[in-house]
Amino acid sequence: VLHSTRPLHTSQQCSAPVPPLPEKGGEVRHGLIPEEFFQFLYPKTGVTGPYMLGTGLLLYLLSKEIYVVNHETVASACILAVIIYGVKKFGPDVAAFADKLNEEKVASALAVKNEAIKDLETAIEQEKKEQWRVEGRSYLFDAKRNNVAMLLETNYRERLMTVYSEVKKRLDYQLAMQNLKRQKEQDHMIQWVEKSVIQSITPQQQKESVAKCILDLKALSRSAQAAA
Amino acid sequence: MASRRAAIKAIDWAAFAERVPANQKAMFNALKTRSDALSARLAALPEKPPAIDWAHYKATVAKAGMVDEFQKKFSALKVPEPVDTQTAKIDAQEKEAAKSSAEYIQASKARIVRYEEQLQKLKSMIPFDQMTVEDFEEAFPETKLDKEKYPFWPHKPIADL
Repeated sequence: VLHSTRPLHTSQQCSAPVPPLPEKGGEVRHGLIPEEFFQFLYPKTGVTGPYMLGTGLLLYLLSKEIYVVNHETVASACILAVIIYGVKKFGPDVAAFADKLNEEKVASALAVKNEAIKDLETAIEQEKKEQWRVEGRSYLFDAKRNNVAMLLETNYRERLMTVYSEVKKRLDYQLAMQNLKRQKEQDHMIQWVEKSVIQSITPQQQKESVAKCILDLKALSRSAQAAA
Repeated sequence: MASRRAAIKAIDWAAFAERVPANQKAMFNALKTRSDALSARLAALPEKPPAIDWAHYKATVAKAGMVDEFQKKFSALKVPEPVDTQTAKIDAQEKEAAKSSAEYIQASKARIVRYEEQLQKLKSMIPFDQMTVEDFEEAFPETKLDKEKYPFWPHKPIADL
């Protein structure tokens, strides 16, 4: 598209959004003359038409002295030459720089907007997660109740164990007392019997029993010798 | 007996731990260690004490009647179950928690609605390079310059530049 005409306000009230501005301005030839002029003359005069018109006009102005050549002409020619040289050389760079400035502005605004969108989305995520967490509150109370039940059960079992161990201790004590008494009686009796037996051995009896032992030993040794 | 046993529910500690937020992890760990200690204590005790061998004692203990007396009193003895004072409180706490969490969820949903609104507005904005200054000020009202309060350029206090 060479050039898009923007329709000026053709009606009074127009609430439709304004269409976006075109990226580039209309096409021009030689930096001055819009392309439409050439297109306008093309059907009648072809490609060279506008140039012939231009040259003819120029020569007419010069020869009829409608435009007078004087010092200013030379000065303007030099100035124009310098200007055109400057624009041709540095134009694109300056344009790029200006574009960059604009780009940066737009990019920063866009970054702010994207960040805002991201923050909102994460905030929504967080809220949903918190809601999910809240649903788990029943676990807490179950745990608490469990703790209480465990404590009660432990307590009850401990009481049972205490009862049992106390009764057993008492019975065992009785048994142990009995056994101890029995033991002591036995020991005492044995000692007493031994003492009385030893006392009752008279010296006469002792001599007799020693002699008997010697005789027995002799007999034993004889039989042992005989066997060997 | 049976009523007490049924009271202990199996808790899925892993799932519970997932739902705990980071700032309450310490409390959760404390609760878990307490619970574990209690269950260890519980497991260490037998459910019933071993039976007393009355026949053996009757045969060996000399004192007449003592074993019989003991046996009678022992079987007649009823160990009282400990009274449960806390479960009612816990139930009350649970109800309160249910109420407050319902409120919190309400507030949370309201917040989500607001966020969604803003999100919609941001997402449906026209791209910046097709905006005019009026469009921009409509989308972000805070950037509008107050030309009544500050009639001269730059229309805002110099300190804000």
